[in-house]
Parts: sequence; structure tokens; C-alpha cells
Amino acid sequence: MNPFGLLLGAATLLIIGLGFVWVIRGERYFGRLWWPYVMTAGLVCILLSLLLPNDWLSALLGAFGASLAWGSTELKSQAVRAELGWYPFEEKKFFPPFASVIKKWKAPSL
Amino acid sequence: MLNWIGLVAAFCTFLGVWLGHVSVRWIERQVARLWIPSAGFAALGLGLEFASLWTFGLSPLIAAGCGILGVTLLVDSHELFRQQERVRRGRASANPHNPRHARILAEHPDAVPFDWLDREPRGQAYSAEELRLIREAGR
Repeated sequence: MNPFGLLLGAATLLIIGLGFVWVIRGERYFGRLWWPYVMTAGLVCILLSLLLPNDWLSALLGAFGASLAWGSTELKSQAVRAELGWYPFEEKKFFPPFASVIKKWKAPSL
Repeated sequence: MLNWIGLVAAFCTFLGVWLGHVSVRWIERQVARLWIPSAGFAALGLGLEFASLWTFGLSPLIAAGCGILGVTLLVDSHELFRQQERVRRGRASANPHNPRHARILAEHPDAVPFDWLDREPRGQAYSAEELRLIREAGR
């Protein structure tokens, strides 16, 4: 038996679970406009995973990168959820560089 | 030499989370008997996990893909019922053409036939009065 896939699946589940936490907290304090930075960080993680010779490290970094990319598409919906009162809403947020430019872009939402 | 396992893990993670969000929402909205797709997800998930255990000697890419997709499908089989709970609480839209959802709309005062999230963020919280007006308009 090869437990690698099962254990990797369990580890990925933890990474995805962590994604819910940082999306909620991140949107609350930093806002949805960080999405291009988060998406870029995710794609960079995935590309870096190609260079890691260790299977475990490569797979975990790839899964983490995908979870960042997914989370970046969730920030917009999370912002609406907070405005509706489903999650705590923080009015003063720490906006990203070029926030006024990013505001004009259509945020991805899947 | 490039190690493709990270890319496979990334693809399967993204696909798994996408399935968990989009397909779970769609299926829960359309299907009258929720246990049928739930059992299907569980069977598929278990099948993939068993497959991942028996990949010894094969490429670890296969084990990684089966392991990640299997786990996300197992979560989805439970997530269908959590989505139903969101419909009851009005956090997801109910489908009046689905008999199960029609019952939810009749029995749960918070359930709504529209999607609260189908709007752009505006940068400020909604007041109770605004929420009441949105709810009235949606109904």
C-alpha cells in the first residue's frame, strides 16, 4: 500500500480549511482589493513547486498555491457577506498598493 | 528537472475546491433527494482513496491526484447537507421549483428565493432597514 495520496489528501484538506480562515480574516482587515496580489502569490507558489525535487514539499506548495489562487476569487463574495452582516465588518481596512487602479478591474468570482 | 507533482496537486486542489463550491451548490439546488448525490460523492471519494493506496510502483502523480480529489469529494458528500442548511438560513437561494426547497421556503422564514451575494461590494455595511427592503424586493 502507498499512503502518500491519502496523507497528501488529508494535508490538502487542512490547507483548504486554512483558506477559509485567511479569506475571512484577510477580507475583514485588508479588504477584497488584495486579490491580484494573492492570486499572483498563488501562481508563484505553483511555479516554484515545479523546482522542488522533494515530492512532499512540491505537492504541498502546489496545493497551497492553488488554495491561494482560489481564495483570491472568494474575497469579493466574502466582502459582500461581511457587508450583509453575516461576518464581522471592519470599516477601516489596510488597502493594497494601487488600490484605486485595482478597484476598476473586475474581480474574479467563480 | 521539473517536478510535476506540485502542478498536479495544484490542479487537483483547485478542481476539488471548484467542484465543492460550484457543483455542490448546483446539485443541492436541483435535486429533490439529497442522499443520492451525497452517496455518489462518498462512493467516488472512497474509490479514489482506495485507488491512491494501490498505486505502489506507479507514478506518485497518480497517487497525489487520487488522494486530493478523493478527500475533496468525501467532504462534498457532507457539504451537500451543509448547503441545504444554508438554504434554510437564507444564506443561499432556494429553488421554488424543487419540492424540497419549496418545503424549506414554506417552513423556514429566513429562506429566500434569491441570492443575497448577487451584488457588488459597496464598502459599507447594510443597515437592518436596507436588508429588510432587499428581502422584500427579492420575495
